[in-house]
Amino acid sequence: MRGTVRLSSATAVAVACVIAAGCGGGGSKSSSSGASGTPASGTGSINVAIVDNPQMKDIAALTPSLFTAKTGIKVNYTVLDEGTLRQVTTRDVAAGGRQFDVAMIGPFEAPQFGQQGTLVDLTPKATSDAAYKFDDIIPAVRNALSAGGKMYAAPFYGESSFLMYRKDVLKKAGITMPDHPTWAQVAAAARKVNSPSMAGICLRGKPGWGDLGASFTTVLNTFGGTWWSAKPDGSIDKAMVTQPAFKQALQFYVNLVKDAGEKDAANSSFNECLSQYKDGKVAMWYDATVAAGLLEASDSPVKGKNGYAAAPIDKTKNAGWLWSWALAIPKTTTKQDLAWKYISFATGPQYLKEAGSRIPGGWAALPPGTRQSTYEIPQYKSAAKSFAKETLDAISSAPITNPGTTKRPGLPGVQYVGVPEFQDVGNQCTQQFSAVMAGRAAIDAALKNCQGVASQATQG
Amino acid sequence: MSTATRPRITRSTRPTVPRIPLSESWRRRLPLLPALLIMIVLTQVPFVMSVYYSLTDWRVVPPEPRNWVGLQNYTRLFDNEFFKDAAVTTIQLTVFPVLGALVLGAGFALLLDRRFFGQGLVRTLLITPFLLMPVVVGLIWKNQMFHGLYGVLNWGIDTLGGTPVDFVSRYPTISIIVVLIWQWTPFMMLIMLAGLQSQPSDVLEAAKVDGATPFAIFRQLTLSHLRPYMELGILLGTIYLIQVYDQIAVMTGGGPGSTNLPYFVFQRSIGGGWEFGQASSFSIVVVIASIVIATVALRVLSGLLKGEEIA
Repeated sequence: MRGTVRLSSATAVAVACVIAAGCGGGGSKSSSSGASGTPASGTGSINVAIVDNPQMKDIAALTPSLFTAKTGIKVNYTVLDEGTLRQVTTRDVAAGGRQFDVAMIGPFEAPQFGQQGTLVDLTPKATSDAAYKFDDIIPAVRNALSAGGKMYAAPFYGESSFLMYRKDVLKKAGITMPDHPTWAQVAAAARKVNSPSMAGICLRGKPGWGDLGASFTTVLNTFGGTWWSAKPDGSIDKAMVTQPAFKQALQFYVNLVKDAGEKDAANSSFNECLSQYKDGKVAMWYDATVAAGLLEASDSPVKGKNGYAAAPIDKTKNAGWLWSWALAIPKTTTKQDLAWKYISFATGPQYLKEAGSRIPGGWAALPPGTRQSTYEIPQYKSAAKSFAKETLDAISSAPITNPGTTKRPGLPGVQYVGVPEFQDVGNQCTQQFSAVMAGRAAIDAALKNCQGVASQATQG
Repeated sequence: MSTATRPRITRSTRPTVPRIPLSESWRRRLPLLPALLIMIVLTQVPFVMSVYYSLTDWRVVPPEPRNWVGLQNYTRLFDNEFFKDAAVTTIQLTVFPVLGALVLGAGFALLLDRRFFGQGLVRTLLITPFLLMPVVVGLIWKNQMFHGLYGVLNWGIDTLGGTPVDFVSRYPTISIIVVLIWQWTPFMMLIMLAGLQSQPSDVLEAAKVDGATPFAIFRQLTLSHLRPYMELGILLGTIYLIQVYDQIAVMTGGGPGSTNLPYFVFQRSIGGGWEFGQASSFSIVVVIASIVIATVALRVLSGLLKGEEIA
């Protein structure tokens, strides 16, 4: 008996420990820095957290030859997927960790963190650095990363959303896609070309505020709905999820996916849609402009078969989103000057000129959408001619300050609401909506749950 | 059965240990203290911190000063629909996989208990699922088995003329249960096999001589012999499966019907909720539930083991 008693209390303690380890606490789970094994050498090295998209991997590979060789500054990269990067940067920047000298964030975070006073204002550094050509940055992107006239992150890459479609498939069905289609036109076209072997349209359905949340919110905006109403001072007033416009937008989105959408929509986001579109399993696709570069790549089976139209609209004039991956300097770093030198290199015009001939994807794979001068480089113009203009138009016309029909709370934003609460509300609600799409939840129940979550945010 | 009374008898008949003086006993314990101290620092301090956090309204986004809120996180817990959903899902994702794996594992163990050509190879192959990383298992099942376009199951359905089913998004709970059963069957099988092989052969022979049918031998002798092993399997399986995380993260990324409590804790903390206070209170509830389960199960188990010894 004695043996078992000891065993039982030991097991209970073990259980307690294992499970307690799962709760967040203030634990500092350090993520390893991948690129370099050598220890940091005093002032000559910086730690940089970046997202794992192809353009960032390119620059990580080129940094030793194009940057470190000239400046002697060593760059230790930590490459993370979008979700993890967001967890790490939020902890590091917002909660005052000291892991990184440069962190990659987007227009959702940059103005918020900037206003909270956790990021270095880059404007003085950028305007005094002649080689950086501050005025060359596309204004829409720069504004999205600024608050109160101060730029808190330097754009590395910019994107909007638009409609991509198979010209051959639509032509066969006798459909002409206008340059600025409405959602009604797109839905009709999708239902017409939909067949068992090829779905009409690919729309994101995977839960997450940056996945389904992004696509759906652009539809919600143009249908006249909103997540929250705004008080005159710009703070959150009331949750508007159970309002008719919200339901109408969700119903439209879900019905379109159910009638003419891709297979397993509730599990699909950018990558799933990309592979289905390339496999010829969908005829249209509404997503990020950056996809065009991949569809027109030399190894793409659908190269040259695609048309591009502006983001579909309903009640507003423009509906495309605006996103940028951008580099910011947390105030906690002691190496601001080195950090700026790196940012100036990574997001400056010189890198774009030097990288084109060195990266595996060629000129078409340059980080798009940050600088007007990119679109004047002759090699880029010819490599990206089928989508460069559409991308630039989409970015400059993204309705960031006035995305819908009513005033929005918080900072500017199209596919998100510029308040800190949105990522949590967006994540929880898109899980509900995704379940509706999969056919295992009713739309009214999902909206009611979501309204409850969104209402909690109004309580401050 | 008088199992319940037996431990008391054993306790009274236990030989008395000669008393050791207090100073002597502490001198003996001294070398163990550093290890104990490290263990306490590494395991119990984080736990106590979690308890403390669970009594505050600490959230990181938007950053606000941390306030002491007492038991508010706990009293609000049961009004939270998402928490209730997660609790129900946790029960489903624990009970069904444990029982499913136990039944299948027992079946495989019975088959493996017989001598046949290639037994060693078959046994190794059957153990393999348990050796795979949970993340890999989740990915394999999601993309190669369940997938609507590329999955084997839907290829089969398609070939037979049926309509493809989006298993993971349409039936997330069942999909994850299937994967967990697949992965945990070998574990149960090994425990059952150990049980079967420890069965005294003379008893079985005697039963045969007495003219018992194979089914009667299984029901009356083997099954009752296996009972403590089943209890052990259920106990260990429950302790592990109550904290499943990887398969959920890879297969569905959460959502109604697949977010269990550990995943919910993640979602409410660094997974986007950033409410460390609230998330800590959830995790404390899971810890308490696990300790209760473990204690109850161990009581039952120790009683049975004792009964086995005397028999």
